[in-house]
Amino acid sequence: MKEHLRTQLGGFFISVTLINLAMFILGLMMEPDLQFGYEAFAYPLIYGIIGSIPGLIMYSKKELTIRQTLIREVIQMFMIIILIIFFMFGRFKNIPDLIPQIVGVSISIMVIYVLVHVFGWMIDLKTANIMNEELMKFQKNVSKAENE
Amino acid sequence: MEISIKKIGEEEKEYIEIGCHIRDERVDEIVRFIRSREGILKGIKEDRQYSLALPDILYIEAVDEKTFIYLENDCYESGRRLYEFEEVLSSRNFARISKSVVVNLMKITSIKPSLNGRFSCVLTNGEQVIISRKYVPDIREKLRGGAV
Repeated sequence: MKEHLRTQLGGFFISVTLINLAMFILGLMMEPDLQFGYEAFAYPLIYGIIGSIPGLIMYSKKELTIRQTLIREVIQMFMIIILIIFFMFGRFKNIPDLIPQIVGVSISIMVIYVLVHVFGWMIDLKTANIMNEELMKFQKNVSKAENE
Repeated sequence: MEISIKKIGEEEKEYIEIGCHIRDERVDEIVRFIRSREGILKGIKEDRQYSLALPDILYIEAVDEKTFIYLENDCYESGRRLYEFEEVLSSRNFARISKSVVVNLMKITSIKPSLNGRFSCVLTNGEQVIISRKYVPDIREKLRGGAV
């Protein structure tokens, strides 16, 4: 569980950064003249927290296979989309008029979700490379000791 | 080459001494063979018990209350529990890499990040075994410890 929380926390910070970027790009594209107050700084954090909820709920003690994990990740991504869309647009009555924004936000969430995993994988790749170097040294040392 | 075997008392430590003119590949081969026989596990296959040399073992896995010992092309069952193997082999070149697997570190060819947020190690027979994040710090500590 501790490791899972750590992974979730790492994902949260990457998400917040990417949400900031997505808000900046989408804002410029859709409503470039809109102005915000200081509360705008809180939104990436709130979206980051909302995005972390499915991951915390769907924690499994079982060691899942790659296939099981992929299915779980897809479900998790759609849960995040539903939660954030509900949080952002739930209070509006004229939903059909908001479809372009909803589609834009949904695509942004998908892109962010994939990028969070890509960045996480890149960090893991670095760890794996370090471990490979340590493994090579270890094996070399053991073989040397056995031959002496 | 003359081979002599001398019986010694129980209170004395067993030893093997090689008398040679020069230490060459032939002598090293004998040393490697003797070292490989230092650790042996018992495995059962088709109701017959076999002695398995530690250096030949790839990994040990617990599946549904049963424990299996995997070699390059063979698999043997054992009556011992995984935690017992973990204890016995902790001073050797073995490490726990997940809830259900203890691996021979000398049989890992590479480590890579896995899609399910974990790592996987490729063994000398091409098989891939999952490494849980939880065990990564312990594995790294063991690898940094060098020859054991």
